[in-house]
Amino acid sequence: MRSTLLIALPKGRLFDAAIGLLQRAGVETDGGVGSRKLTFTDKGGQYEFVALKPADVPVYVESGAVDAGIVGSDVLRELECDVNEPLDLRIGLCRLAVAAIEGSDLTALDHLRIATKYPRTATRFFSARHQHTHIVRLEGSVEIAPILGLADAIVDLVETGRTLKENGLGIVEEIAPVSAKFVVNRTAMKTRNTAVRKLITSLDKVIYAHP
Amino acid sequence: MTPLSASALPPGFRDLASQDAARRRQTDARLAAIFDARGYREVLPSGIEFLDVYTRGNQVISERAFKFLDREDRLLALRADFTPAVARMVAPRITPGADPMRLWYSGNVFRRVEPRKGGYAEFWQVGAELIGGSTLEHDVEMIALALENLDAVGMSSASVHINHAGIFRGILNAAKLPDTARERLASEIDHKDARALATHLEELGVTAAIGEQVHVLARCIGGPDVLDEAAAVLTDAESRAAIVHLQHLAAALTPHAERLVFDLTEIDEMEYYTGVMFTLLSPARRSPLGMGGRYDLLLRAFGGDSPAVGFSLTMDGIMEGR
Repeated sequence: MRSTLLIALPKGRLFDAAIGLLQRAGVETDGGVGSRKLTFTDKGGQYEFVALKPADVPVYVESGAVDAGIVGSDVLRELECDVNEPLDLRIGLCRLAVAAIEGSDLTALDHLRIATKYPRTATRFFSARHQHTHIVRLEGSVEIAPILGLADAIVDLVETGRTLKENGLGIVEEIAPVSAKFVVNRTAMKTRNTAVRKLITSLDKVIYAHP
Repeated sequence: MTPLSASALPPGFRDLASQDAARRRQTDARLAAIFDARGYREVLPSGIEFLDVYTRGNQVISERAFKFLDREDRLLALRADFTPAVARMVAPRITPGADPMRLWYSGNVFRRVEPRKGGYAEFWQVGAELIGGSTLEHDVEMIALALENLDAVGMSSASVHINHAGIFRGILNAAKLPDTARERLASEIDHKDARALATHLEELGVTAAIGEQVHVLARCIGGPDVLDEAAAVLTDAESRAAIVHLQHLAAALTPHAERLVFDLTEIDEMEYYTGVMFTLLSPARRSPLGMGGRYDLLLRAFGGDSPAVGFSLTMDGIMEGR
């Protein structure tokens, strides 16, 4: 058995915030900067980190290939992963929302074409309100889809709303608030309980110290 | 669709090559000898059932079953779980007052997996069912037998993480919460998110005493002392009885004391458990080695009525170190 706890971090928008949060919780790392190795350790030698594509983090955690990870709740809900989620990290805060061209009336359509990177989340949301949809699954630059007529609306992450605005889109409705979660493999939660609890406690302290 | 090569396997499946196949046969023989010595008779339920057997037994498993139609357009399913199949098999033969039936099985189960997650769709399970066994001694017998089996396949590092379905049920019934709140609480407990749980309890306006009881479900993992900790705050009859049962179980399993973990935070994974439930884990393996528990109501779904307790081991994980 490995003596360190192996933790997956998401590359991209959450990476720096995650490293910063770990730092404040007393877990010092250089973030793997200047090294070509795929994993890096903290100075205390208790943790080992691997940076992965965000959508791969829950896959690694669920299978137990890593013990724990940090991942956005948007990815977690979309992939419907079976993991423990013991702590909301309050970083990467944004919203998952339905957006459309400013001024368009979606209620006039009885069949909505939705472009999104979140097909399952979108399907769940619209089916709960008995709205028929056709989902177009895209990998990125979703905002362009309504403009080019590929879809009537999009379901996407909204941070400041600037990208939407610049493309003439506006929020129609919010689906859910999004934030990063600390997730733990179900077996590791039990077999490595002491080590996992220790990290959760130090993270919890710095996140919720000044509410 | 791109045509696959003639030698392709469907995703989620694999062959056992000579060495693995031989190892499986040897392992099976070793476990058979143990079951034989303990007075268990082997059964092998049909490989295909009406889907109904699984929907009656376990909704989650039935959703994952491989389904197809017979000539009369009835829904069938490949064996997706042994316990409902064994329950279906023995239910008509239950006679009140008869001696308990000790049964064991070894065979493959099939569950659809998401290709994205890379799991296998076919795996080998070995397990036992003690039909008609209603007492603490029968619970003890199952746990000890599961550990004996694990020792025989080199898993002496395995520990057994024990809970009782009556604890969660008792606390929630006593708290008299609406169904929607229960669902959300179950999800927070399942996530082990103590903070979200606390915020939610505050929103619900439950009393401090009830709040403290629900927190038992988020916190109590450890040796038999966590049972005393829980007993000090639980007030409803059902959860208190469950704790007493676990305390007796701990005493009866003293020879295995260092392998027991009481984990009140794990809620029912299989839906059909009514009493003691347990998961078998090893620090050397990334997924559970097996699980078990008491399912006193399942046989009623098949027209029998008998208490029962059982366990199953996931052999692929044990043998391959996955």
